[in-house]
Parts: sequence; structure tokens; C-alpha cells
Amino acid sequence: MSSVVEFKEITKAFPGVLALDKISFKAKSGEVTALVGENGAGKSTLLKVLNGDYQSDGGQYLIDGEVKHFKEPQEAIASGVSIIYQERQIVPYLSVAENIYMEKIPIGPSHLIDYKKLNKMTQDIIDEFKLPFKATTRVKNLSVAYQQMVEIMKAYRRNPKVIAFDEPTASLSDAEITTLFEIIESLKKKGIIILYVSHRMKEIFQITDEVVILKDGKLVEQLHTADTNEMEIVHKMVGRDLGDIFLSLDRNKEIGKIVLESRNLVAENVKDVSFQLHAGEVLGFAGLVGAGRTESMRVIFGADKHKSGDIYIEGIKTNITFPEDAIRNGIALCAEDRKDQGIFARSSVKHNISVAVLRSLVRNGFIDRKKEKTLAEEGVVQLKVRTPSIEKPIGELSGGNQQKVILARWLAAHPKVLILDEPTKGIDVGSKSEIYQIICDLAKQGIGIIMVSSELPEILGVCDRIIVMCQGRITGTLTREEATDKKVLVLAMADMLGGDKE
Amino acid sequence: MNSKVVNNSNPEAETKTGGLGDMVKRLFKSEKIGLILALILIIIVFSALTGNKYFTADNIINILISSSIVGVVVIGECYLLITGHVDLSPGSVAAFSGVLMALLLNKGVPLFLAMAIVIIFGLVIGFINATLVNKLKLEAFIATLATMSIFRGLAYIICDGKSVFVTNKLFLKLGAGRILGMPIPVIIFLALFIVFAVVLSNTRFGRNVYMVGGNAVAARLAGINAQKLRTKLYMMTSAFAALGGCLMAARMSSGQPTSSTGLEFDAVTAVVLGGVAMAGGVGTLGGALIGLLIMQGFNNGLMMLNIPSFWQTVSRGLLLVAALSFDYLRNLKRK
Repeated sequence: MSSVVEFKEITKAFPGVLALDKISFKAKSGEVTALVGENGAGKSTLLKVLNGDYQSDGGQYLIDGEVKHFKEPQEAIASGVSIIYQERQIVPYLSVAENIYMEKIPIGPSHLIDYKKLNKMTQDIIDEFKLPFKATTRVKNLSVAYQQMVEIMKAYRRNPKVIAFDEPTASLSDAEITTLFEIIESLKKKGIIILYVSHRMKEIFQITDEVVILKDGKLVEQLHTADTNEMEIVHKMVGRDLGDIFLSLDRNKEIGKIVLESRNLVAENVKDVSFQLHAGEVLGFAGLVGAGRTESMRVIFGADKHKSGDIYIEGIKTNITFPEDAIRNGIALCAEDRKDQGIFARSSVKHNISVAVLRSLVRNGFIDRKKEKTLAEEGVVQLKVRTPSIEKPIGELSGGNQQKVILARWLAAHPKVLILDEPTKGIDVGSKSEIYQIICDLAKQGIGIIMVSSELPEILGVCDRIIVMCQGRITGTLTREEATDKKVLVLAMADMLGGDKE
Repeated sequence: MNSKVVNNSNPEAETKTGGLGDMVKRLFKSEKIGLILALILIIIVFSALTGNKYFTADNIINILISSSIVGVVVIGECYLLITGHVDLSPGSVAAFSGVLMALLLNKGVPLFLAMAIVIIFGLVIGFINATLVNKLKLEAFIATLATMSIFRGLAYIICDGKSVFVTNKLFLKLGAGRILGMPIPVIIFLALFIVFAVVLSNTRFGRNVYMVGGNAVAARLAGINAQKLRTKLYMMTSAFAALGGCLMAARMSSGQPTSSTGLEFDAVTAVVLGGVAMAGGVGTLGGALIGLLIMQGFNNGLMMLNIPSFWQTVSRGLLLVAALSFDYLRNLKRK
């Protein structure tokens, strides 16, 4: 039986902004419908309206022709609408079975939990999904991807009509994504309506059938995925396309002396890493997840210890054991995980900017508030941070603006070397292009920049030179001119292709 | 993600500070307004119930005296709670320090030397707490629960379980003396309070306390040595507890191993009442002071009304629930 969810003129307003403006479209069973748009376009808000987390201010939604109005997510779940979020909603110390049947644990005649039945029912689902773990496995022992599968199974067990995925692949490796897609494919075949929110264009073309494009809370267009292409979608999302962004970058042309050199660095998942970074250069680090790029950067920054090897800054051997040593010597690191390692969510934009350079703002033992304010204001202007005030808690800004604040933090330290680990992760296309231009501008000022990224287009589009890593080793260096996706991938998978000897 | 924010490249909006009207406005927007209103309410109600005997200079000084010893510990706990930590040992450390002080004085050790020794002991205890937390990676709650027990026991051991009476006149003056009509413990407390309030809000050290409490990982990557900072805070808190213990011994003219039981809980209650989140990252020492005054002012009022002291313990709990519910409701409204 085919089913359908229909949105009719859904409208949702927040103070000062119309988050959803008369959104109407249909999503059918047997199809995966993608919701795409920049951050703030309204994708997640729409999902939250659908599952009762938010109440719409106008319009209605129908499931199989029946008007629904969920007042809270529990009600939506009971009626067959589940959302799989980027953040896991599981209990790590319970078993897979206990997680999947959380609110419906079978009770035996003696009022105790009927584990036999519970595990049997769960194992049936696991087998149906062809997954390799057991019903009794503790969820904390599963990989992130399998934990997500547990969530999907939990939703599936409830006999859902609709499963919505909100950025499900954000923390998955390529192999794990493949598994996820197989599961989504099988859910689709079972007649479940799938809504799929993602920033990643590649995925949209891999698994979706329909694409609904949102921009600033309005529906731009609904397209058949087969009839469109990446360029068209990006263009409709932002009004310009990605290739143009890279072509129009105003890049630095004067590469200077060596500012940073790593010689034979050895640490956990870092094997004999040697490279040089020049002033004004943008040096990309490409590789698959787990290639040792983040680990290398953390060692250079003093966040993790190294076993052997040396770091030279402007030709001088420098001892770096703590991040404060690195900062003092002109190295800055924007960490990969912005939320957990970058921002102080409840602190103001101002305090987030000044934190790494407070020492320089102290006069007679006290923080010079005027100087601090000026510093923050300059940072906000320079990086075009969109915030109503420097006193606003950073946690209330969008991802792109948070990233700009963190860049401002490090620029205030006047670094010689700026390491950016996945600088555009979870950021919308508009902010991305701004960040690319900022990177180029900083290179022009003579800062040596390292950009670790898993997104090949940006590595190829922004960097002057690309180092590729695989399993903790550098497997090759490519210049901007010679680099292609294929060459990078071959180096990134050097171990699987048999070229590398352990 | 849903807020379309306005670009404020115009700093004018920010610079419009100063002026009395603005100060009043800021006060009303501030987190502390509920607390201040609660304090005023307590004053009005008790003044009415006691026939205007409540809000008099004498009684205010009474409230300050009863606040001063726990107040010294409040300073340390406030810093610790902002970093997301807590110290449960101050009551025991205070008892141990009081007894140690009395013993040293009775052995003929000069007052200031004895005081220095006790404070140094406090610093060492704090260092032990910090080491348990930093190096053994124990939860603050567990680590200080252990030292709480250890030092309560040691307080009994060093005096054989008996109170140690003190006759040193100068020392007794520390507890009962007054300067310009103000009791010495109150002066010590207020002086320390002002210094540490200024340090917390105006120095790099103070700012780092907030940053580490807000996000310890990010703080480390921003070059803040969180472990070192925590060590300082634990040492500070234990030293304050030691000082509090000395003041207590001076007031009671004896070192008593049973004294100061629950001191840490009173201090934490005051701090939380004052708007410091247990999760860390937010709160001010000024808030903690108001929390303390509410707590002690309430107790004092009940006492004046001759309500049995057992009820004070009950009321402290109710006060906490009331304050936190108020906070919850206010946040709900803001959402």
C-alpha cells in the first residue's frame, strides 16, 4: 500500500524571522525525498514541525490524507513518524535489545523482563537488516555507525510510516555510509516514506529520488533527482554555484619562506610525518577518516604528546608540549569538533574571541575591558560575523558564524601558522564561500595555513599544495596544478591498493 | 539556526552604556534581580513579623557574623562550582584546622606562626584534593568525599576526641573583637570577598575560571592549563576552610572536632541559591553573596520568631527548591 505525507502551506515564525513560509509539497512511499538548503533555510524546522517538537503557526500536514497535529514527539512516534538525528539518542550501557524496545520491553508472567523474548524479537530485526552484532551487545561497544543503525531499527520496530534523517552521515566514514544507504534503500522498499536532510550533494544523488529545495524558509522548487544535477541544485540553493566560488577566489600568489617544518614526527596514528609549510601558503591535508591528519595536527599544536620527531618554527627547533607553547610560538589550531572543542557556548562572542590572547589584554593585573571590546569588534568586522552584538552568547549563532568567531579568536593571536581542521564542517554553502575567501586573505597576509579537510572539492579548490595521508603516513604530495580527485584518492587509499608496505 | 541575525558592523549600539537609567535597566535584566527581590521580600516580611526589630544595625551585624565563616568557604566553592567542580571537604578541614590551631597555641607557638602553619596545612589538603582529581581522574564529588572523611577523622585523632580550649587573648579577640563596631570575622570575610569578587570578574585568572567551566576541552586548546587552574582553586578553597576553622575556634574559644559539620553544604547551598549552575560556566560571586545573605537572613528571622532551630534546616531546603523553581520558570518563559 502506498502512503504519502503532504505538507500544505506550513508556516512557522520565530521572533524576528519567518522560518517556514507556506511550504507545500508531498513525499511518497517508495521514494527518498531530500530536503536541501543552506543553514537556516528551514529544513530542520520543518522536520520539527512534522514530529510535534514545534507547533506550526499556519498550514497543516496530512499523512495518507488525514490531517495530523502532533503536540509532542511522543505522539508523532506513536502515529508512525520518527526522526533520526545526527546526535545519537541511545543509552550506551544498555543492550541493543533494550535500546530498541526501550518503552515496550516485554514482561513475563512473573512481572520480570522476558529477556528471551526480547532478545529473540530484536535478533529478528537485526537479521532482517543483515547487521553483524547481537541483540545482547552493549550499545557503547558499537561503532558510531552501528549505533545509528540501532536507532533506525528502533524507529523501524515501531512500524513507522515516515522516517526522517537529519544529517545522518555527519560522523560516519565512507564504508559506514554505504551500509547506511543500503538500510535506507531497504526501508524505502518496505514502503516507508523517507525524508532525508543533508548538506552533502554526493549523497543526494546516490540515494534520493526527489529533491525539495528550501531557501530562507521558502520552497524554491521540487525536482526529480534524476532530472537535475549538483550545479543546478546548488545554484537554486544559494543563487550561485560551487565551481564559480573556487574560480572567483582571490588567491595569494606570493609564497614566502618556510614557517613550519615537521621532521619525522611519530605519535599515536602518526608515523614518520615530515613536511614543510611556507608563509602565505595554503597546504591541504587530504585522506580518509582515520588517516592520521587530525592526530598530526594535534601533536604539532601540543594537544597530544609525540614519541619522537621535531618541530621547527621559522627554522628554529621548538619544544611544544602544551597548546600554550604552540600559541606562544605562533601556531593556532581551529579544532575539528566546533561544539565540543571550539566554542564556549554560553560565553559571549567577545569572550570567545579574547580567550586565547587574554594575556596581552592584561594591564596592571586586570583585563583591559576597552581593549578587549575593541579586539572583539575588530574581529567581528574583519570576519563579517553576523551577530546582533558582541555580548551575544556564541551558542546562539549559526554554525558558520561560530566558525568565523573562532577564526577571529585565532587571528587575534597573530599566528604565523594557522591550522584549520575541517573548517567548513556542518556549514552552509554561503558561509563556506566566505570562509574560503577568508583563508585566501589570510594567506596574503603571509600566514602559513594548513587545511585538513575530507571534502575533496574544497581541498582541490583552495589549496596550493596537497599532502595526502593514509594510515598515519604521508603517501604523497601534489601541487595544485597536478592534483585531481583521482590522484588524491589513489594516494589516500594507498594501503588498500597494495602499494604500501607495513 | 532559525535566527536571521543582523550584521552589527555598527558598534554604536554597544557603546551606549553608563547613566543611572541604564544601570537600573541592566539591573532588571540581570540574573540577580530575582535574588535581590527575594532578599527585599525577606527583609519586609520579617520586619513586619518582628515589629521592626529585624532590619536594625545590630541585627544586620548578627546576620553578617553568622555569614562570615561559611562566607569565607562560599568564596572558594563559588570559584570551584563555576569550573564545574565542588569540594565537600571544607567542613572537615575547618574542624581539623580549628583543633590544630588550638593545639599549636597551647604548645606556645606564636599566633601568627600558628596561623601560617594551619593555612599551609589547608593549602596542602587542597593540593591533595586537586591531585586526586587531576591525576587519578576521580570525580570531584568522590575525591573530596574521601578527604572529607579523612580529615574529620584526623580532627578527632589529633585531640583524642576532646575539645581543646584556648586562652590566647589575641586569638580570642580574632573571634569576638570589633574594629569600629564591626566584628573582626565580618571584616575579614568582607575584605576577602571584595578582593576575590574583583579577581573573578576582572582578571585573566578569573576569566579562565569561566572558560574552563564552560568548556574544558576548548579551554585547553585555547592555551589555558585547566589542571593548574583547578589545583589553585582547590588549594584556595581548603585554605579558606582552614581560615574559617580558625575563626570558628576563636569564636568558640576552643578547637572542637565536631564543629563545622555540614559547612560545605551550607556554602554550596548559598552558591547555588546565588545562581551559580552546578554544570559550571556561569555565576558570579556577587550572586553567591546574595544567596548567602538570603539563607542566613532567613534563618536569623526564624530565630527571632523563636521558631525551633530544626526548622531552619527544613527551611534551607525549601528555600533552595523555591529559588531553583523560580529560575526554572524564568528560563521557561524566556524560551
